[in-house]
Order: sequence, then structure tokens, then C-alpha cells
Amino acid sequence: MWFNRIFINLPPLGRSFIKIPVVSYLFKHKPVLAKTLLLLMMLLVIMSGLTGLGCIRGLQPIGWSGGVIADGTLFVGSKEGRLVVVNIAAGSRQWSEPLKMPTSGGFGCAAPAGGGGCAASTGVAIYGTPAVAGDLVYIGGYNGRIYAFNSSSLGIRWVYPRDSYLKPIISGPMVMLNKVYFATSDGKVYALEAATGNKEWEFQTGDKIWSTPAGDGSTVYISSFNNKLYALDAESGQEKWEFEAQGALASTALVYGNTVYIGSLDRYLYAVDADDGSQKWKFMGESWFWATPVAYDNVIYAPCLDGKVYILDAKSGGEVADAIDLGSPISSSPILVDDKVIIASQQGVVYTLDTASNQINTLADIEKEIYGPLCASDGIVYIHTQDFTIHPVDANTGAKLATISLKSSE
Amino acid sequence: MNVWDLIILQPILNVLIAMTNYLFSSFGLAIIVLTIVIRGLMLRLTLKQLHATKAMQELQPKLAELQKKHGKDKQKIAQEQMRLYKETGISPAGCILPMLIQMPIWIALYQSIMLALAVTPEGLLNLSRYLYSWPVVYSMLPLESHFLWLDLAVPDRTLILALLVGGTMWVQQKMVMSQTADPKQQAQSRMMLWMMPLMFGFFCLSFPSGLALYWAVSNIISIGMQYFVTGWGGLVKPAAERRAIRDKKYKRRIAQVEEVASVEADVGADIVVADSTQEEGLAHEKLGDERKDRGRGYPERLRAIRRQPRRSKGHRPKRR
Repeated sequence: MWFNRIFINLPPLGRSFIKIPVVSYLFKHKPVLAKTLLLLMMLLVIMSGLTGLGCIRGLQPIGWSGGVIADGTLFVGSKEGRLVVVNIAAGSRQWSEPLKMPTSGGFGCAAPAGGGGCAASTGVAIYGTPAVAGDLVYIGGYNGRIYAFNSSSLGIRWVYPRDSYLKPIISGPMVMLNKVYFATSDGKVYALEAATGNKEWEFQTGDKIWSTPAGDGSTVYISSFNNKLYALDAESGQEKWEFEAQGALASTALVYGNTVYIGSLDRYLYAVDADDGSQKWKFMGESWFWATPVAYDNVIYAPCLDGKVYILDAKSGGEVADAIDLGSPISSSPILVDDKVIIASQQGVVYTLDTASNQINTLADIEKEIYGPLCASDGIVYIHTQDFTIHPVDANTGAKLATISLKSSE
Repeated sequence: MNVWDLIILQPILNVLIAMTNYLFSSFGLAIIVLTIVIRGLMLRLTLKQLHATKAMQELQPKLAELQKKHGKDKQKIAQEQMRLYKETGISPAGCILPMLIQMPIWIALYQSIMLALAVTPEGLLNLSRYLYSWPVVYSMLPLESHFLWLDLAVPDRTLILALLVGGTMWVQQKMVMSQTADPKQQAQSRMMLWMMPLMFGFFCLSFPSGLALYWAVSNIISIGMQYFVTGWGGLVKPAAERRAIRDKKYKRRIAQVEEVASVEADVGADIVVADSTQEEGLAHEKLGDERKDRGRGYPERLRAIRRQPRRSKGHRPKRR
């Protein structure tokens, strides 16, 4: 083993460097202990190097929940694993109890159910944007549970499942027809009664699901890693049709008109007929279409991880205007504010794209990484950055308003 | 993207993903094959390092002698050590430099495995930054993480992989271990022998099993290379020690036989025992002579005992 080889060669190479009194004392009087400590230090340095270099990104779930605004209140999942309620006007905040982890994650870099190890987050990761319906707000966690909180008091109304945990939930909840729809990473789609949390039906797909269900009033559209987009009857969970792409589908579908638009890991954006699941057109980018596109006036604005925003005709898939290069991957789903598309790059720059002229302008530079979807209310865009903060930005002037910390200790 | 990612990490990662496509979409097989390929490419460096380490180990007794001879005169010891290195043509750096050159590749391979597994949404998103625009790469993602009984993205809870990694590491450590009479060094070697396998075995319970698979394959390759250079090394006892143990056994056996013979003589048995046996044994012990049997079973004097035909009414046939 190379540690041993280093050790064998330590006397001629290293001893002259060991001049620190404590170290030299240890080496003189307790050589075995000193060498053991030295070896442990070396191991720690190497392992922290390995885990640090390899673990910086993506080996621990951290989460990037977007926000939803209802009645002047912003609901968002924090990286501490809590539902946070912010009164936008007053700036007052309220935190739910942290979502509970099923088991401890242990040391290392595997992705446990709730974090631990080298994650920056200490709580349950929340990826899905909460959904609000009536007096309840719904949120799903990486711990494999979906919760319904009272939107004013943040008291738990129900939790599903009550006594156990499902596989990690990366999908967000979607409320339609008095039901909450969500999916788990073992490929199951669930429909629960919105008021009670009782299960109405479940549907098994062929692979894991990371996307949020999309609905059009009677049908639920859900994409799976087995390359398939499923259309399910919202009432019964019966499959209506399925569409197969060439690559895995990780993003949430956009339903616009009678068409479902979905980005794939094969670098294509697909347009699928909502009636029969037939392909209308497909458009190829230079990387994955990760974020959900937005549509306005028969034009699809599709951000891509190649850093470009593609402007496509909703019917034909042809490029209406040249793609706009933002110079940084876009994983955050954009939002429409009046007739402007607000787009945020991973690097933390927020842009406004005028749908009339297809001209883009820099709105604000947040200087923090942005992964989660944007939300807006009354001309203000709320951006959840990876540093536990909400950055409100005026969509018209680009003025940065006072930030809102999502840390419960602040 | 920084230089490290561009020059080392990205090529290894993309090759790993592309290889998965050609290896029946099995990421586990791709890890094994790429580990073998990379270790193969670094064979020259590894062998150089192993040879240098072996030479260094052989020099240890002389170095110890120098330290004993010059006591606390560190300057003199250093001078003598340098002279010894010059005379023997050994450079201590020769053991470490090849290893230092290899380490970035190991780390890049490790990182590639972790990146390619893309366990979490952040992981998959991050992976997209490193991909070449090869269609074969995009068509393979996300990778199928099941291999044999393992889910390569999560730790192996069956303990099999942890035991395999710990066991292979122990064997490798044991092979590398140098024989020394110094009790301090012996203690240190013993500590190394057990601590590393235990630590890595523990890591296997916490890290994705894809990484543990890489460690296991890498260890097995290292054992092969080590065997090629030093043989079984510390795994088998040195010849002198083996001889000492064998002689001890013989002496015990002779003592037993003599005891039996004396008892049988008392009851009228006629086993012939050479008169000089005892003296011979003592002389051999005193002088430390080489044994005459050359390691082919019983010593001459014992054979003489065994060759005597039995005259008693035993059931066993006579030996010829």
C-alpha cells in the first residue's frame, strides 16, 4: 500500500522536517503513537481530499425548492428541511418543524435519505416547489414523505405515509381535482385525497421519477427515467398513452394548448400531442433541457444547460429567433411576468427577455448560484439561491430588494 | 472548467461512460475494465516504484546499523545514509515520485466514478458540465447502477464488498511488510497491517459501492504486481524463520520418539536408537550447522529410527 511505502521512506525524507517540540517529543518518547497519529493525519488529509474533491457537488442531496405565492404569502422549502412561510409585505417569517429523516446518513459520500456526511445542508433536502390549495400547503421531502400543513399556523394536517417512508421524493406536489399528485424516485406516481391524505391510486412507471406531475384538468402528465412520458387519467390513474423519447426524462412537462413539451437527457425538446401521445416535433440543443420551458403567444422559450435560451415556434418547433447565449447553464425554470420572460442562469445572473422583440437584458446580478425555479407576484421576482436566501428583484427596474434569510437561526 | 477537470477528469469520465455503452451497459464492468486499463498504462511507473521500495526495504538493516553505530550524531547518520544511498544507487525519492505521479490519476478515476453515478439531482446536474458532445455519452445517461448484487450508487450493506476490500488490502499490506527485528518497527507494521484494511472496510459501508468496487479491483491488481516484484513477501514466513520452526518441530518429535523408545525398551521392544543421536542433536544446536536432510522430511538420524523394521506383532505392514 502506498501509505506504507511513504512510511518506509519517511525516515530519510521527512524526519528532518519534524522540528516542532511536541512532535519531536512524541517521536522521541512515543514513536509508535507518533507514527500512528502521523499516519492518521495523512489518511485524514487524503480522505478529506478525496471526499472534498469528489463530494463538493452532487453526492449529497441539498435541495432547490422553488417558492409559491398565495394571498401575499410566500411558501418555500428551505435547505434546512423546513417549510418556510414569508409574509411578503411585512417580511415576517415562520418556520415549520423540520422534516424528519428516516435514518442517519452516516459518514461518507453516499446519498442517504436525509443528508449528513459532507452535505452543506443539515436537514431533509426539498426539491419540489410546495403547492397551495385552500387552507393547506403541501410539500414533499427527500425523506420519502409528503406533508400537508395548515397554511396559516403551519400545524401538520396530515402526512403520507403515516408510519413509514417512501423512496426519496424529488418531485413536487401538484394539486388538481381535490387530489395531490406526486411521484417518488422508485418510479411510482401517487394520488392522495387533498383533505385527508388518503391514497386514491398509484401508478408504477419503469424507472425513477424526479419530475413534478403536470396537469390539464383531467390528465396527469409525468416523465420517467425510462425515457417515457405517461399520460394518466387524473381520476382513476389509468394510463391513457405513453410517449418514448430517446433519452431519460428528468424534467417537468409543460402543457400548453393541446401539446405537452418535455426536455430530455438526449438533448432534445419534444412536443407531444396531448390527445394521443404522438410526437409533433423535436428540437435539439447542445445539452440537456433540464428546466421547464415557458410559453407565451405560441412561442416556447426553452432554457438549456448549454447556457442558451431557444425561442421556438410552439406549432412547428422552428426557431423564431436566434438562440440567446447567457454564458452559464440554465437549470432554474423561468417565469412569465406580464409579457416578459424572467430567466436566471446558474451563475446567478437574472435576465429579462422581451417577448415582443426577443431582446434580452440583464435584470440583476445576484452573484449566488441559482438552481430552483423562480416565482413572482406583483412584479417582484423571488429567487431562492443556494445560500439559504430569497432575493426579491423588481422585474421592471431590476432593483434588488431586501433579502430574506431562510435560516431559522437568523 | 479548471485545468484539472479539462485535462484529467473530463477525459476519464467520458471514457468511463462511453465504455459502459460497449460493455453491455454495465457500469460495474466499465469500472473494472477502466481500472485495469489505467493500472496497465501506469505499469512502468508502478513497477519502478515497487522495485525502489523493495530496494529500500533491503537497505533498512544497514540503515538501522548506521543509527546504532553513530548513536545521537544525526549529522553523521545523515552523511552515512547519503553515502549508502549513493553506493547502492537507491534514491528515496524513487519510491515516492512514481506514486505521486500516479495519485492524480487515481483521484480522477475516483472522482469520475462518483460523478458518473450521479446519485442526487445535484449530481446529475453537475455531471452535465463534464460531458463531451459524443452521442454515445448522452445516450447512456443516467447510468444503470445495478451490478451483480450491488447498487453501485449506494453502500453495499451485505458486507461482502467491505470484506473483499479489507481482505485484499490486508493481503497487499502483508506482502509489502518488511521483516524486521526491531520491536518498534514490528509494532508499527502490525498497526499498519490492521488499521488500513479496517478503515477502508469501514469506508465501504459508507461510500457508494461503485467506489468500493474500484478499491477491490485496484487492490487485486496491486497484489498481482506486488507478487510479480517481490513474490508473496511478508505473506509467507522467511526461510530462516521457517527453518527455525521446522527444527523446533523436529526436536520436539525426536524427544517424543525417544520417550516412546525408552518406554518400549523398558517393556522389551527392540527399536534401535543410534547412540550418537543425542550428542548429534546437541552438536547441531550448538554449532548451528545446516541440517543434512535438506528439508526433505525427517532428519537422517530420525530416518534411521523409522527405517527399523517392526518385529512386534503390529498390524501395519513392514516398510521397505
